[in-house]
This record gives sequence, structure tokens and C-alpha cells, in this order.
Amino acid sequence: MIAVVAFVVCALGAGSVAVAGTPPIFAEDIQPVLEANCLPCHGGSAPQQDLDLRTVSSILRGGSSGPVIEIGASARSLLVERIVAGTMPPGDTKLDEGEISVIRDWIDEGVSSETGELGTALVTDRDVLPIFQARCVVCHGKREQRGGLDLRTRESRMEGGDSGPAFVPGSPDESLIIQKVEAGEMPPPDLQYDYAVRNPTDAEVATLRQWVVAGAQPAPENDSSPDPARHLAEADRWHWAFLPPERLAVPKINNESMVSNPVDAFLLRTLEEKGLSYSELAPPLTLLRRAYLDLTGMLPSPSEVERYLGDDRPDRYQALIDELLDSPAYGERWARHWLDVAGHIDTEGFGEYAPRRQHAWRYRDYVIRAFDQDKPFDEFLTEQIAGDELAPWKDQEVTPELIERLAATGFMRTAPDPTWEIEFAFLAERMNVIADELQILGSGVLGLTVGCARCHDHKFDPITHRDYYSLGAILQSAYDPYDWVQPKERELAIGLADEKKEAEEFNAPLETKIKRLEDSLETEAAPYKAKLLEERLSGLPESVRADLRTLSETDEGKRTEVQKYLAKKFKQTLEISTNAVKERFESFSSKAGPIQEQIKETKAQLRPEPGIHALVDMGGEPSTSYLLLRGDALTPGRPVEPGVPAVLETHVEPYRVESPWPGADSSGRRLALARWLTQPNHPLTARVMVNRLWMRHFGRGIVATPDNFGRTGDLPSHPELLDWLATEFVRSGWSVEHMHRLMMTSTAYRQASRKNEQVLAEDPENALLSRMTMRRMDAEQLYDSILRASGRLDPTRFGPPVDLKHSDNGELRAAGSTEGYRRSIYTLQRPRTAISLLEAFDVPQMTPNCIVRNQSNVPTQALHLMNSEWTWELSRYMAGRIIDDVGSGYGEQVRAVFLRTLSRPPSDAEMTESLAALEELRSHWPERLISDRRETPIDSTAGWLALANLCHTFLNSAEFAFID
Amino acid sequence: MPPGRVPFEFDRERKTRALSRRDFFSRVSDGLHGAGLAYLLGSDLFSPNPAIAAAGPARAFDLGAKPPHFEPKAKAVIQLFMHGGPSQVDLFDPKPGLAKYVGKTPSRDLTAVAVSPQQNAGILPSPYRFARHGESGHEFSELIPNIAQCADDIAMIRSMFTGTQNHETALNMIHSGRLLGSRPTIGSWVAYGLGTENQNLPAYVVLDDPKGLPIGGIDNWQAAWLPPICQGTRFRAQGPPVLNLNPRPEWPDGVLDVERRLLRRLDQAHLEKRPHESDLAARISSYELAARMQLAASDALDLEQEDEATREMYGLNDGLTESYGRRCLMARRLVERGVRFVQIYIEQQIWDTHSKLDEGLRYSCGKTDRPTAALMKDLKRRGLLEDTLLIWGGEFGRLPLGQGDPNSRNSLGRDHGPNGFTLWMAGGGVKGGTVYGATDELGNHAVEHPVSVHDFHATVLSLLGMNFRDLVYRRHGLDERLTDQFPARVIDELIA
Repeated sequence: MIAVVAFVVCALGAGSVAVAGTPPIFAEDIQPVLEANCLPCHGGSAPQQDLDLRTVSSILRGGSSGPVIEIGASARSLLVERIVAGTMPPGDTKLDEGEISVIRDWIDEGVSSETGELGTALVTDRDVLPIFQARCVVCHGKREQRGGLDLRTRESRMEGGDSGPAFVPGSPDESLIIQKVEAGEMPPPDLQYDYAVRNPTDAEVATLRQWVVAGAQPAPENDSSPDPARHLAEADRWHWAFLPPERLAVPKINNESMVSNPVDAFLLRTLEEKGLSYSELAPPLTLLRRAYLDLTGMLPSPSEVERYLGDDRPDRYQALIDELLDSPAYGERWARHWLDVAGHIDTEGFGEYAPRRQHAWRYRDYVIRAFDQDKPFDEFLTEQIAGDELAPWKDQEVTPELIERLAATGFMRTAPDPTWEIEFAFLAERMNVIADELQILGSGVLGLTVGCARCHDHKFDPITHRDYYSLGAILQSAYDPYDWVQPKERELAIGLADEKKEAEEFNAPLETKIKRLEDSLETEAAPYKAKLLEERLSGLPESVRADLRTLSETDEGKRTEVQKYLAKKFKQTLEISTNAVKERFESFSSKAGPIQEQIKETKAQLRPEPGIHALVDMGGEPSTSYLLLRGDALTPGRPVEPGVPAVLETHVEPYRVESPWPGADSSGRRLALARWLTQPNHPLTARVMVNRLWMRHFGRGIVATPDNFGRTGDLPSHPELLDWLATEFVRSGWSVEHMHRLMMTSTAYRQASRKNEQVLAEDPENALLSRMTMRRMDAEQLYDSILRASGRLDPTRFGPPVDLKHSDNGELRAAGSTEGYRRSIYTLQRPRTAISLLEAFDVPQMTPNCIVRNQSNVPTQALHLMNSEWTWELSRYMAGRIIDDVGSGYGEQVRAVFLRTLSRPPSDAEMTESLAALEELRSHWPERLISDRRETPIDSTAGWLALANLCHTFLNSAEFAFID
Repeated sequence: MPPGRVPFEFDRERKTRALSRRDFFSRVSDGLHGAGLAYLLGSDLFSPNPAIAAAGPARAFDLGAKPPHFEPKAKAVIQLFMHGGPSQVDLFDPKPGLAKYVGKTPSRDLTAVAVSPQQNAGILPSPYRFARHGESGHEFSELIPNIAQCADDIAMIRSMFTGTQNHETALNMIHSGRLLGSRPTIGSWVAYGLGTENQNLPAYVVLDDPKGLPIGGIDNWQAAWLPPICQGTRFRAQGPPVLNLNPRPEWPDGVLDVERRLLRRLDQAHLEKRPHESDLAARISSYELAARMQLAASDALDLEQEDEATREMYGLNDGLTESYGRRCLMARRLVERGVRFVQIYIEQQIWDTHSKLDEGLRYSCGKTDRPTAALMKDLKRRGLLEDTLLIWGGEFGRLPLGQGDPNSRNSLGRDHGPNGFTLWMAGGGVKGGTVYGATDELGNHAVEHPVSVHDFHATVLSLLGMNFRDLVYRRHGLDERLTDQFPARVIDELIA
């Protein structure tokens, strides 16, 4: 469309272009040059970059980078720019000076057509539909047909509305809509803001007129962007990650005693090729700590350490893995990893005051349960992408299963959605929400940087600009940018009867209280409002005052036409909000403030109606999807159909949309995506997931760029192992737990992490796994482990998130209760500001998701652990529990501190040193306690606080925070 | 091979090339944030053995001072960020011609960019008087008498544009060069490119207003996928500048020393058994650096060290100017100590004068005019202005239209005007007393020498001695730049 805009704008000014000499004629002067140099790529039915240089009108239409010529301005024309810069044509043959000059003249002198006329681009339905979609259909479309007018289809446009036909082809001045739009009456200025629609530009208005002038012609046939598969170079189809995984035989290796399962065979073969082998096995307690932190995200308790030491079964390690996989903490830990991928958050936007997503926690709980149950990954993915399309859900009996299936689609609604605020509800922001969801699908599920194709064809991978918008079109029937649904309206009011009843009973007294408060506020305000009205009226001419006074006393329904007119005209005078009264009258403000505060507080206590944060198909026909030139919502290019990147369909069943069930009012587009992704031989789905599991266990993926399996991503360090694991994953029924067992019972996983000179030289990045990689605990492992070590962990599972609050010094903490503090996964998740401690330890900002956590090592971390109120509080608590457990013997206390924080008993030297420190710490406290005039006994309090200092020191130690 | 495709050899070349340090950083994917004070990773954290340093991933990045690409004019930047969009036609860009359109809407394009076109009250000429100042004789509004005194130090761009009428997208644009968020901001690029002279303070400090963060909050100083140590560090205006900077107040003397001593012994012993773990070494150093920082940061922000005349000059004794003045003075102290990039934010978006233009402008100007001028004069008398670049401007300007009820002239404000506005710079090698570019007759569209955000960014980098094309960060196999793939031009006309 932009080409047309440029054309129209320039055509209007064309009169001023002085034509000197004979302008070049397209057929004679231009066409031969283009034919010889450009048409091999920019001709035919599938031109490169959607740019067809065969005819004047196709040239004017431009390509996927937008218009290529600006009439009358060769200097600003992309076509000329590229030719002059020598980037086009790409080969060795370039245009000569004479050829360039004739093209320049042709553009500068008005772009003569084949027949010698200046500027004749045909404006058709294709050019105006995007204008209607962006500016009009919100009131004249699927959900509303104001004035009986529906502008979505050619037929409905022609039919017109209550006032008759909207257009008279060929006669713009008799066309109602042209009149209204040109007069600035449509879209109605007073509704634009509420409907988040912006005024059309002058150029768009001109396009509408041109379209009517040209007879309101239908769009040209075969208008959709050409089949991108034809763009694919043969080599693109054979990139390793676009081929289905192949299961090769498990290799035979020399040192079979080291092979616990096929994983080792693949790894050892590569190591042996380099003359390397595995390192020695990790000591039992190192392995125990590693397995606990890995599978449950927390340290073992002292009793679990003692029990493992006392277990003499030969298979105690295998038994431990089974036990940990069965523990509730496992589901919570691994759900966290997936929530990173999904970008789960509990608020709509970025700011600290963005509204809550009241029901987003159901998605978090769904994910935890899925890991608890080892839900097959193909099912897990399908429910998340299209749970609503698996079976009917409207007017069905509400069962826990139904709720789960719908809550799963919360996956498609994790991206921050700022459109709750009308100022951010316009087209560009809506497109951003969709782009974020595609980013999550791309980086998390496909392992491809699809986002690069938002503005242009992907520079390195064979993902076209069109592929990107085809993928977007899959979401169009749920996220329709032209018929947008605000996030709040998307929440499904579906809940179990019990939950509903419980909420109602809880809320009833609160609601009565709110009503009472609001009434009293209104009563207080009434006299002030009357006074303010009089004040406002006094500024108006005498003649209207009386009328307005009467008007304000007349009910809206009973007003005369004149009164209605006045009401509209003097809206700003007559409407008196409580805030306006507050601003004007100090005396009222001081009364109203506390009441409003009380209302706010009471409202905050209300329990929300049960509901689900879900994404569902909106039913009916979605609006047309477009390729957006340069990613700009305001410059739609050609229409696109839903689909997946063509290169990925080369070796598997193509994406095919079917009705989810007979007669379903649901497009089936997302279900088709889920089915396509979960084909057993899909080249990416299983590979990307097993690679992620591998990365979480070994610290680095087999593909070290887990969000980029494309050509700029890293090649797999062990391609055959990756494929073996991927096929094994599918064979096991997509069992995640099966993969954990394979990886964790391998000898590779059980190695020690010590480095020596040889491995540093031969395998510096540990890509070959010649040892285990030492890692710092991630933010949640650290937070949860401090809680567990201190004994202050509240193990309650599921439900609405725990609130965050600022402590006096500005630190952000999770609220606690008498039961203690809950695991970090149950605290309020926000895209930006997190619990201060988590933030210091690299908890990700969801932009919109996170595939690899950063591992920084900075002084802020030291400041938090050393100086924060929270660590000191938990250290005191830990000291208290230790004294309860082992009594006042220093030796026992030190041993307990070691077991709780480092999961091992102290050596003799460590015991001696710790005892000395404890003694010294103890000597410092009494003086302070005496000067504080504490009521507690000085001696035992000093002993307790000194022990707290010891605990505090160990929580700060490197050994605590690093996983060997 | 179709045109535009990179030959397949590209991959192979990348795989076999020796891994550079930047390659390591490029491996660290998104989600790098949260390390609020991530700046102290000095070079002393790293193992001297390069093979070992190479074995660690991205964290082997430091903020040690790095040589620029060429001789710089400026060594540091103070950006006075005027959030909300100051009205150019009322401050820096006089348009007497507006008078003839009072109440009219001469172009439809005016309302097409308005956020609230339904509130269009037609052209509203500026109610303020403009006068010529300094030897250069450029015009300034009566609202900013103090800034006007520095006219000959100021290089003014009257033709800036961000092209987007929402605060959030415009903020993304002006700070990171793109409408979409999640890209590194200019401050973090500068920290990345030049590091800092003082390893005890951050390279990039943000002095946000105690009355509230800008729209988008901490995104405005994010490092996005640059190493997190390049992110802006917020220093709070009152109390300890950094969260948990000071030891627990309830501890008796001596306790902290015992803890630190024991901790060092434990950690050293742990490291000795794992000699090649550079992460562990970094961890130990970070505890020591944390202690040093406590002193350095407290000292830098201690305004009690300033004499009374200076405090008065910055307006610290006046309720209206005190808050902004404090931060201007802190900025000078930070730059003196080698901090590379200081950004001062202002109380939410006080320039966002949608209604009651006069009230809003008098408040915003009253709050900032004097401290801003004081900062310029103070830097100048200390000889710091010549290599400190001062930048004054917001995310867009305002429309020449009035906004609101045309019947109530005094309540009128102005809507966002993204297509032409004024931004100025001083010191740091810019040519004082210049005006560059112009808006149209209405003060709406930049028509003469329009300056894009990319041009502006390229110019700032250039003043700092960096070529915008060469300041790159490798990510997903691509060289990322502050100006991305957009055309950009260093505006030489502004450089002395």
C-alpha cells in the first residue's frame, strides 16, 4: 500500500514537476534494461523480496522493503540507491552510467507508464482493506456493526448500511464514506480514543478516494504473497537442524567399564578421539548435593545427608534419582525452567504498578502438575498451544480437566500485554504482543530466531519475511490485531462451583462495606458538586445557565433533543467527577481521602471470581493477515495465509488446518500448529527439548545456542548423541523423566568437576564433557536453599502468588507468614522488578522469555548476602533451629552448620577454625546486648547470635553458592 | 546462490576462527539484567592465564578503561533527560507565524499524530516572549532565563524527530534507537565501549527522581543483551545510594571483621582445591570490591563536602530546585571521579503538559532551569566542561496545537509532537552558540536538516572518540550496533 501512498502524494504534486526534454518511455527505455539485469530474480510468479519489476504498476507497488521508487525523486528511490551503490544487481555485471541515468530521468520525470501516461497505479480492494481493518472494522466489523455497516468483506461493503450504500463506484463525491472520512467525521473523533483507533492520514484518505474513483475494483487474483518454498535454495533445505533426527547405532568404545548407558558411549567416543577420557567419579556427597540441587532446586537436609551416607545399597544413587523425581520439589524446580521458556509473569505490563493477571498462577500450577505427572511432552505442548481446540469447552460441564486444558493455553498469553491501558492499545502495541508470543514460540519451541524475519527476510536462515507473518497468522483467530480484545476481557470466567461459592461467601461482607463507603462518599460530595457546578456555570453567558441547570437535573433518558445537544456540547462543564471536587475543595478532599483509601483497601481484599488466563479462538472468520513492511503495522504489504516456515515442511508432513471437530466455531489454526510440531520425526521439537534438558543438567547444551539451531547458531558438539536422545525421547512416549534418568545415571554426569592442565588445554569449554562443570547456583536455587537450610521454608504448594513488599530500606522481599516463606516459584512474578536478592543473582527479566540464564559474579551479590535484613533474619532462625536440634555444644553446632549449608561434615581443621571464630563472635555480643537493655538472657542470646553470625558466614561462602 | 544470502562458508569460518572474548559474550543470551551494581568487575578479577580466562564464559568481561577509536573530544556524558516531551515552540523554537492560525488546524497531519485528536483546540501560539542571548544571539524563551545565559555554550538541534507518539516507544527510540524495547541503551553502549576510569564506581550511573521512575522504569537504562555490567546503576538521591551498601546496623563492632576473616579462609581453601576456577576467584574478589565500593560511593554522593556558594548556585536552598539541583551536583561529582555516563531523570514525565500548559511549564522550568545552568557554569569554571558532554532533551516535543476545551483557554495544553523538536548539547567538543536544523512554519515537522535518533547517537559516540560503525557486539552471529542497520550520520556541523 505504501507504494500507492507515495504515488498518490507525488501525483498530487506532479503538476509542479517541470518536464524538460522527452521523458523516457518505459517500454523503450526502461524495460530492456530491467529485463537484462533484474528480471531473472525480480520477475516471474515468485519474485525475490516480493519485488516484481515487470510492469510499471508492479514496480510502483514495491516489494517487502516497501516502495522502491518515489515518483519525481530518484535520489530518494531505493531502486536507484541500490543500483548506484552496486549492491544490485548482485553479480559482476553492473548497470552502466547511461542506463542508470535513464532510470533516474524516468523516475524524476514522473514515471511514464507503458502507454506513456504519467502515474497510473490501480487502487483496488487490496489497498483499502488494510485501511478499513486498521481504522474502521472495530465498529463496523465482526463484533459491532454500527449503522448496520460491516466493512470486512467486499460483499458487505457493497451492501452498505442503514443509510444505504456506503460507496458509489466511480463517484467519490456521492459516496457517503468518502464524504464522512474527508470531513473528518469518520472515524468519529470522540470515539477514536476509546476504541484505540487513530485518524487516517491524508495519504490514506487520498487512497480511499482513488479507490472509489477507480470503480472500487476487487483485489487482483492470486494476490497472496507467492509461495516462499520457491525461494529456497537447495542447500537451505539440507541444514542439519531442518532434517529429521536420525538414530544411529550406539558406538562401540574401548573402555566399556565407563559406559553406564548409551549417552556415555557417544561421549566417550569423541573423548577417545582426542586422547581424553572421563575424570574420576565425584565423591558421594558431592553427587548427592548436585542431584538434589539439579532435580529439586534445593539442598538436601542434614537428615537426608546422613541417610544417604548410611545407605549401603549398591544402587542407592539410582534409588535417589527415583525418589527425587517423585518429590513435589522436582515438579516445582523443573516447572521453573519451563516458565523461563514460556516467560510466565503475574502482571500485565512492565511497571511495578501494572495490573495483576489474577489467574495467571493457574498456568504456573498446570506446568508444575505436568512435571509432577511426567505428562508426555507432545501432549504438554499441544495443550499449551491449543488446549481450547482439543475438544469443545463452551457450555460444558466445568471439570478440573477442562480447567487444566484451558489454563494450559496461558502459555500463549505470557507476553506482557500493555493494551490494558488504552494509550497502549493501538495497533503497534497489539502487534508487539503477537510478536512477543512468536518470539517465545520461536526461541523456546522451534529453537530458531524467527524474530529476525519481522522486518525483512532472515539474513542467515531461510526464514522469509512472509514466513514470519504466516506464523503470526496462525494466532490471528485468537489474537486479531484488527479486532483486539483487551487482556481483561480475555479472562474466562470459568471455575468450579465450589470455588465460586467460596469466593462469593468471602466477598459478600466486603462488598456490603464497599457499597456503604461509596454511598457515604456520594452523600458527602453532593453539596460540593452542586457548588462546583454553580461556579462553572457562572463563567458562561446568562442565557445558557438556566438551561444547563435544568438539564443537570433531568434524567438522561428524559432529555429533549435540545438538551441532548447541550449535554454533548457542555460535557466538560457538566460532568463533575469526585476528583474534580477534591481538587477544588480542600475541605472535601480531607474528608474524601480517608474514605477513598478505605474503599481501595477493602477492594484489594476482594477475592477475584475464579477464572482462567487463557487464549481461545474467537470464532468466526478472522481478519486478513498481512506481511508488514519493515515490521510496521501501518504499512501492510500483501496478505498472507497461516503457515509455518516453508523450509521446515521439506521433510515432514506440511502444516494443514482442519476443523478441530465437526461444526466447530474455532479455526483450528493453532491445533494444526501443535499437531505439526509434535510429529514424531519433526526436525526441531524433540531436539530442542532434549538439548534444553541436557543444558540444565550439564551446564551447556549439545547445541550451545539452545534458542538458535539455525545457521548462525553453534553446531552440535555431539550431533549423533543429540539425535539419539531426540529419537529416544519420542520413543519413550516423550517422557521427560526418562531423559533425566538417562542423563543423570550416565557416568558423564557422575564425574568430579576438577580441572587439570590436560583438559584445560584440550577441552577448555568442557564441550566434550571431560569433567563435570562447576556452576553457581541460580537465583532460585540460592533463595530456596537458604530457606531450606534455615528451616524457614513453607512447603505449601499451588495457588495465587505470594505478594512482594518493600522493606524499610527499599529492598523488595516476599511476604512471609507464621509458616515461613514459600519457594520462589510461588512468589509474584513480574517481568522486571523481582525480589531484590533474586534480581542480584540474575533472575531474568522476561523480554519476553529467557532461554539461557546469565551467571554474573558481581559485588551486588556480596552486598545482598552480607548486608541484607533477610539473610540476617534467616541466619538467626537457622541458629535457633540448630540450638533446638543439637543443644548448646559448640562442636555439634558447627557440625550442624556444615551439614545444613555445605551438605557435609567439617574436617578437623575446619572444625578448629570454626570453633575459634564462634568463640570470638560470642565475645563481641554481650556488650551490645547489655547496652541495648535486652530482656532476654545475655549469655544464651549472645550464644545464639554468635551462632547466627556463623550461619551467616557459611551462607556467604563460595562453597555454599557453587555446585561442584 | 540467490542474491542476499550469505555463502555457506560463513558458518565454517565462524566455527574455526579463534574464539575471541567478544564471542564469549555473544554466547550469553538474553536475560542479562538484574545485576544492579554490576560494574565492579575490574580486571583484577581475572586469572592472568589467558587459557583459563578463555575457559570461562561471558563473565570474563570488565569495565577497565578502553581506548577509543580516535582522539575523543569528550570523556564523559551527563544526560539531562527531560521526560514527557518539552514544548519546543514555548522554549527554544520561536514560531511567531503561529499567530495567524489561532484556533485553526492548517494541516490534517497535525491531528494524525496526536494521541487525543478529539481534543484538538486548533493552533495555540506560544504565550511566552523570546529574546536573543549571548554573542551568538540565539533566541530563548523567558521561561529559562538561566539556561539562556549559557547561550554561547549551547549547540541546539531544532530538527530532532523520534516519529512515534507514545512515551514508551519514544523512550525506547531515544535511548536505544528502536521503537521496540529490549535493546541496549546508549549509556550501556558507552560503558561497553569505553569502560570507566574508576573501578570503584559504576561506568554508567542513573540518578532517578525520588518521586518516581520514568515510564518503562529501569528499561530506560538496560543493557539488554550487552554484558550486564554495562547496565545503568541507580544511585538513590537520599540515604545509602545503593541497596544494602552498609553492614547490619545491629551488629556490634568486630563481628563483621570476624565474619570476613573466616569467609576469606573458607573461600581461599575452597579455591585452592579448585585452582582453575576463575569464577571462584571472581567471587572472592567481588566481596572485597563490595567493601571498597561502600566508601567510594558514599564519598561521591556526600554533598556536605561542597561549599555554601556552590550549594546555593545549584539551588539546594530552595524547595523547588533542591531535588533536581542535588542530582545535578552529584552528577558533577561523579564525572569528576571518572564515571563515564551519568543520566539524570526527572520527576516522572513533568514535561508532559497535556493540559494547563502554563502551570506545567512554569513548574518544570522552575525546577530545572537554575540547576541546569549551574551545572554548566560549575563544570566550566572547573575546566570540566570541555571534555564533559551535556545533553538536554526529551523523547519528543509537542504539537503547536492546543489540547483540551477551546472554551477554556487557560486549561489548554499541548499533545505529543514526535516529528520535530529541540534537543541541545553543551561542552564535550560541541560548537557552542550554534543552531542546527529547523522545523516547518508551524514548528511541527523537522524540515531542514532533520536529525534522526541514529544521527544523534552517532554524533554522541563520535564526540566520545568512537565510530558508530565500529562499536559492535557480536550476537547470534551478527555484529550488533547502537544504530543497528539504520542509516546514520555524524553531524559534523555541531562539532567544534
